[in-house]
Amino acid sequence: MSEYSVTFQPQNKTARVKKGTTLLEATQKAQITINNICGGDGICGRCKMIVKKGRVYGEVSSKLTREEIQQGFVLACQTFIKNDLVIEIPEETWAKEKIIADEDAERFRDFEQVLLYKKEYIPSPLIAKIYLELEKPSLSNNNADQQRVCDTVRKKLKYRSTQMGLKIIKSLPKILREHDYRITATVGLRRDIAEIMNIEGGNTEDKNYMIVVDMGTTTIVAHLVDANSMRTIDAKACFNSQGIYGREVTGRMIAAERKGTAELQQLLIDDINRLIGGLAKDNKVNLKYITAIVCAGNTAMGHFLLGLPTQNIRRSPYIPTSVAPPPLRAAEVGIEINPRGLLYSLPGISGWVGSDITAGILATGINEKEELSMLIDIGTNGEIVIGNKEWLVSCSASAGPALEVINEECGMRAEKGAIEKVYVENREIKYKTIGDLPPRGICGSGIIDLVSVLLNEKLIDRSGKFIIPKERNSDRIQYFDGIRGFIIADSQQSQTRKPVFITEADIESVITAKAAIFAAMSILIGRLELDFLDIKHFYIAGAFGNYINIENSINIGLIPDLPRDRIEFVGNASIKGAKIVAFYKQAFYKVEKIRERTTYYDLMGANDYVEEFKKAMFLPHTDIEMFRRK
Amino acid sequence: MEIPDVKERWTAQINEVTIGATKEQGGTRAKTVTVGGQTTLPCLTFEGEIPHKPVIAGYVADMVPGWPDVLKNAIGKEINSPVEWAQKSVEEYGVDLINLKMIGADPAEKDTSASDCAKVVEDVLKAVDVPLIVWGCGDEEKDNLVLPECSQAAVGENVLIGSAKEGNYKTISAICKADKQKIISEAPVDINIGKQVNILLQDDGFDLKNVVMFQTTAALGYGFDYVYTILERARIAGLKGDKLMATPQICDVGGEVWRIKEAIADEDVLPGWGRLEKRGPMWEATCAGVYLQAGADILVMAHPEAINKIQTTIDRLY
Repeated sequence: MSEYSVTFQPQNKTARVKKGTTLLEATQKAQITINNICGGDGICGRCKMIVKKGRVYGEVSSKLTREEIQQGFVLACQTFIKNDLVIEIPEETWAKEKIIADEDAERFRDFEQVLLYKKEYIPSPLIAKIYLELEKPSLSNNNADQQRVCDTVRKKLKYRSTQMGLKIIKSLPKILREHDYRITATVGLRRDIAEIMNIEGGNTEDKNYMIVVDMGTTTIVAHLVDANSMRTIDAKACFNSQGIYGREVTGRMIAAERKGTAELQQLLIDDINRLIGGLAKDNKVNLKYITAIVCAGNTAMGHFLLGLPTQNIRRSPYIPTSVAPPPLRAAEVGIEINPRGLLYSLPGISGWVGSDITAGILATGINEKEELSMLIDIGTNGEIVIGNKEWLVSCSASAGPALEVINEECGMRAEKGAIEKVYVENREIKYKTIGDLPPRGICGSGIIDLVSVLLNEKLIDRSGKFIIPKERNSDRIQYFDGIRGFIIADSQQSQTRKPVFITEADIESVITAKAAIFAAMSILIGRLELDFLDIKHFYIAGAFGNYINIENSINIGLIPDLPRDRIEFVGNASIKGAKIVAFYKQAFYKVEKIRERTTYYDLMGANDYVEEFKKAMFLPHTDIEMFRRK
Repeated sequence: MEIPDVKERWTAQINEVTIGATKEQGGTRAKTVTVGGQTTLPCLTFEGEIPHKPVIAGYVADMVPGWPDVLKNAIGKEINSPVEWAQKSVEEYGVDLINLKMIGADPAEKDTSASDCAKVVEDVLKAVDVPLIVWGCGDEEKDNLVLPECSQAAVGENVLIGSAKEGNYKTISAICKADKQKIISEAPVDINIGKQVNILLQDDGFDLKNVVMFQTTAALGYGFDYVYTILERARIAGLKGDKLMATPQICDVGGEVWRIKEAIADEDVLPGWGRLEKRGPMWEATCAGVYLQAGADILVMAHPEAINKIQTTIDRLY
């Protein structure tokens, strides 16, 4: 099949692709991240590009104006390649790759340099490097080389049994004698057995690094940690490149069925490798000293990481291939660390409650508390766990992306120029953007604030419909494609020279999303015959969670109206939990216990879900009396 | 052994809503009608008070509804004039109120003007001395024109105006506040939306003590059981202390029953179902009787025989 080269300007990157590939897929191949919300369905109109040289084919999109079509604009996802091309990517289309990834890391890396878990836990990284000065062999000490190493390691690290690969065994005679029996063994935990993964001459004990990864549907975060000091050295984040196949995991699973799991796996592995490469380079750490990677994420991501089939996750009765895969050689899936380094996937609970949640349970310690806790992770999916030291129940609610991205024109990720806060000052609705730049759009935390503020200011009623005010703000309510909307920033203030607004339809999507999450919480509470007030600790996890305003979240009914001192943001609990596992062997076993103990309640089987959902389709809730505590 | 007391005890009371105004109260009605005020479920007088009996509102429209002859003949030639129809309903059938519906205002019907509708209200008010319920045609846009004028024509009469829905409650609330009328809040067979409309009205500054809920009515065989449970759940919520659900409830039995095939088609179409002359009114009376038990406070009824049956039932029950 013929291949063509596509060169993208101004990045000046070229990809070689087959005939019939879309321009969007070609950008991916050229490692250019572009704006794209709909996942290549041609709906969002964000992936505009200009064909400078060469010919393409595809349908004319209604998302382009006549002028744009005349100037050679196309939608990358709807345009197919049939010869060599030069493509210009206009500035508004690029996701400002590098910069944004860093900004994102800044917002999302949730950097805690030293992580101390429970006092009674002895620091014991999953991969230990241990310097050994072995007793030299003699006629009276005539142990074989392998047994000499293994016995010493076992005694020192108190492992019951050890294993060693053939390659390492073969290297022993030379390395032991060349280095005068002074060696460093790299010992990794593989469930109940310790594997002596590597033997190096001399003392390299101090060079032991691990990578901890949170594989989000939207953002992937990687931390470089020092296994000895338990310090986090650096963090990086990037948008999940699988985004070209849709914002939600379901879209990714459908793509995996069509294109093969390997395709999705590769995108994820490439992202992780890029993050690792960047972390290693910036911090001058040799990849060979990175001995392990510990990953947490939703179950679909866990599957993509290992290339496991995902097709049964999205079909009733929603059975994953594995929720607790064993430690593997990282190189087996293509992760570039020490070639003998191990890949630990944290155990998840079900197809829809992943290891990011088990990690969150571990990090918040709700599995150890006498009192009742609830943990919610607000993302594209909302996962909920409730329980205490005796029992844990989890469920998953599909909230959709509405809390992250509203309408196609104005919704955006938490990037520079995104309105992240909305508030009232001197009876005026005001906003703050990330980086204090002129606004380009509005991100999730801003959306929650905005809906809450509109409600408080009586510009919308409790069903989310605009109330036309008599005096103030009336000029800020206008029609957009026949739907009423509120202008947050007018075209003069905005960076794009187009107003940033929210329509009645957007507000309805926000209400739908928050209703899905609240209904799930209500059902769990109801099934357990509890009241929200029985919850003594309410943890909000997720990167997004760090930025939302509690009062506004309660005001719109996203979270229950609990005494404020019970509500706590825990940030990226997924990476925190994964880190705890990386540093403490005991936590490695504990998280497995959490998996076994946590019941998964599938809301698909809840016949009162629709009822609860309808009740929550109101601001804050039809049972408004639940929200009048303050 | 002592027999345990298994009586339910409710903590709250359903709102008392009075419709109509006498001369002393600024209107021209001979008497007013009060509904609600209960502290117990229907019929269970041993568990609480039921200070006011359920009432029957006679169905009257500004044009002849598309009803079967069986019903039209039972009412007689008076059906052609809302005034005479209302008079006959009060004088002959003995209804407690008149339920006046502006079906002719519907753009799909006669598209009667707002001022013509208002004229009908005035005429009926002059012709009868019982309190009035006034409905628009159901087309929200048209009702936003019709209801303000109808309300204006009845200033001081404390009429019950229907209906306020999610989409138009602001207009209805504004006119009823200005003209001091009562409101019917309507929801499409959805208890949550029912409560939501009440919250919206309350947020808009309308006192729920002046509201009667309409959960939409279904005829027997057409979601009847579903509406029954909604009426009952709403009432239980109200008695348990949910102030937003503690309003009296209205059922449009006549308006619903006479649209279904069981009340329209005679034996030639439904062999074995019995003669329509008897079956039609029985269908209406059955529906009304059951809704009484579910918690309806106002029953809108059309057929004189059905009205008569339910009057007897109410008198025997309370």
